[in-house]
Amino acid sequence: MMLKKIWTIFIRDLRVNTREFMTLYMIIIPLVLAVGINLLSPGINDTTVNLALIENENTEQAAYFDNFAHVELFGDEQRVEDRVMARDDVVGILPKDNGYYIMTQGNEPESVLEYAKLLNVLYESDVQLEDARSEIIEFGRTVPPLKKMLVNILLLLISMLAGMLIAINIVEEKMDHTVSAVNVTPTSRRAFILGKSLTGMVIALVSSIACLLITGFYNVNLGQAALVVFSSTILSLLIGFVQGINSDDVMEAAGSVKLMFLPMAGSVAGYEIVTGNWQIFFYWSPFYWAYKANDMILSKSGNWPQLVLFIGIILVICGAVYALLAPRIVRGLQ
Amino acid sequence: MKLLSSFKKELILASRGFYFYVELIFALVILAVLLFAIPQNFSGTSTEYLYFDLPQEGVEIFTNQILADDLDGESEMVEIEAGGKTFNAELIVTDESETYIVNSEEAVRMLAETHGNIGAVIELNENNQLHYKYYLQGYESTRLKNLISVLHNESTDILEERFNNQDVRPLSTGYEPLSDRENTIPPLVAFSGSLMGMFIMASYIFLDKKEGVIEAYAVTASSVWQYLMSKIFVVLLTSVVSGLIIIMPIMGFRINYGLSLLLLLTTGFFASSLGLLIASFYNNLTKAFGVIYLLLIIMMVPGIAYFIPGWGPFWIKIIPSYTMLQGFKEIILQNGDIVYSLITSAGFLAAGIVLFAITNIRFKKTLRV
Repeated sequence: MMLKKIWTIFIRDLRVNTREFMTLYMIIIPLVLAVGINLLSPGINDTTVNLALIENENTEQAAYFDNFAHVELFGDEQRVEDRVMARDDVVGILPKDNGYYIMTQGNEPESVLEYAKLLNVLYESDVQLEDARSEIIEFGRTVPPLKKMLVNILLLLISMLAGMLIAINIVEEKMDHTVSAVNVTPTSRRAFILGKSLTGMVIALVSSIACLLITGFYNVNLGQAALVVFSSTILSLLIGFVQGINSDDVMEAAGSVKLMFLPMAGSVAGYEIVTGNWQIFFYWSPFYWAYKANDMILSKSGNWPQLVLFIGIILVICGAVYALLAPRIVRGLQ
Repeated sequence: MKLLSSFKKELILASRGFYFYVELIFALVILAVLLFAIPQNFSGTSTEYLYFDLPQEGVEIFTNQILADDLDGESEMVEIEAGGKTFNAELIVTDESETYIVNSEEAVRMLAETHGNIGAVIELNENNQLHYKYYLQGYESTRLKNLISVLHNESTDILEERFNNQDVRPLSTGYEPLSDRENTIPPLVAFSGSLMGMFIMASYIFLDKKEGVIEAYAVTASSVWQYLMSKIFVVLLTSVVSGLIIIMPIMGFRINYGLSLLLLLTTGFFASSLGLLIASFYNNLTKAFGVIYLLLIIMMVPGIAYFIPGWGPFWIKIIPSYTMLQGFKEIILQNGDIVYSLITSAGFLAAGIVLFAITNIRFKKTLRV
């Protein structure tokens, strides 16, 4: 009986939502972002160093540098100087009496300058690509780390989006007095909660899988990925519910939405930047474990026991949060 | 005068609400993370695995070359895992890299594959010449692979000598680079403070729309623009306070706070006006959410270009947050470009005024939309 009611709320929500912006956003935003990641990442991955040269001054040199760097050509020395002085990092290589000199703005990172110097040395030393002496063996991976990171963040964003929209949606339902109307129907509060969550969960799962496929991760274990999305979405939904129910107006819900960004952004930064023992400070965050689990799945480096451990940790944190918040949810619905 | 009393009233209302404090707590947490969890410098170090398949003398020559740059001048014996196996390695840590010297080619291959780092084997070929074998992941760009493949065509000593004799002519001097910690301030201030103003402003308006406050203004002596402006002032105040909470403890008295304040105010004004304009097209936050969310994400893309110095396509530079980030960076840089920050502030102020004027016309016409 209970299941039937949950199902009815889910179907009703789904039907209502397909006519509404909320679902549309939850479906469209991640897909647009996935396409965006696809468009961005090849350019970023191809980044080495940008060189500015004088057009037709030495075409052979320009062609040589093009094998190793992005080359931009300009009419004269003044234009090269203007380009070097622009805000991004471009290094000029210009002729002098007996060879070439390197023109910099003076604020480039050391690595950019070293790369440019090395290229000029290789050119001056007549080192040719045809005579390459090093052997390169590749593992056949095609997805660069930055793309993997962006897709991982996108997966977290999808589960957060579900929570955020639930929060805002509930506040608005409250203001329209549709939440209190549930109290006079035979539907229990728990069924109402579960029914509403199901919509967010299904959309989050479908969007995540679609995003993985769009961004080219079709050969990762989609089942594992769905499990991680499932567990992290539970938490987002829980928080979304509590925020929605305990916020009296949309302004408070908006503030809470911003608060939700903090543990997520912090966890990603913690995993990527913070080294060694400091990572322990992020163990409380389920987003940290979700990010770690996603990273393992996307790089196809993990195994089931590890994954089960990570998901288990997320679910335990979810359980703790639920135990803490359940009374507030039920009270809030009264 | 009416504007001032509206602002006072809004401020009192805001101080009773939850959001005002969220903003301050948010800034304090970011500050704590910056101060305690993020190292002063975290980027620029790479990890590599090496195996020297050479006679003992050769191994020592190569090892000593790398060891010369070690931070404490001594290597450390460690164990490192890959693919369920444990390998013994000699670890050498320099400013730029962590190098693990291992005992077999298999170790290099497994470590490089498992940990996603570069690996190399240096051996002798049949003519007793050095032969370099690199293990790469496969996603590296063709240009980088080209460079690696020719790196050892010429003797390292000759290359090094020529490298050190390169004629480098900087167009400006006296540049003090920011530490990685300082470098993260502009994105945090721009995204957490200025840009979130867009979202918060829209939320404020939807709340008031719901309660009919905007319609009520039609029958008061106060005009709609004063009401909208007083809301913006509250958002500006919170973004300035939270921005300064992040900036001050890290930058101390080394920067020009007048300029910081100016840029915080003008970028906040621009973002708030943009939020207002978006809010004027919708009647609740759920509907406006998608547009605001997408705009926020688009505004975050220049953040990638900010951290990757070599990547900056033209279209990135026309997204307003690019200029915002560069403006904040110039302020915290020693000898930064003051004129750039001033022009940026003027630009955001002008754009904000235009957006605000359009929004005001829309709200006046419809009184609610």
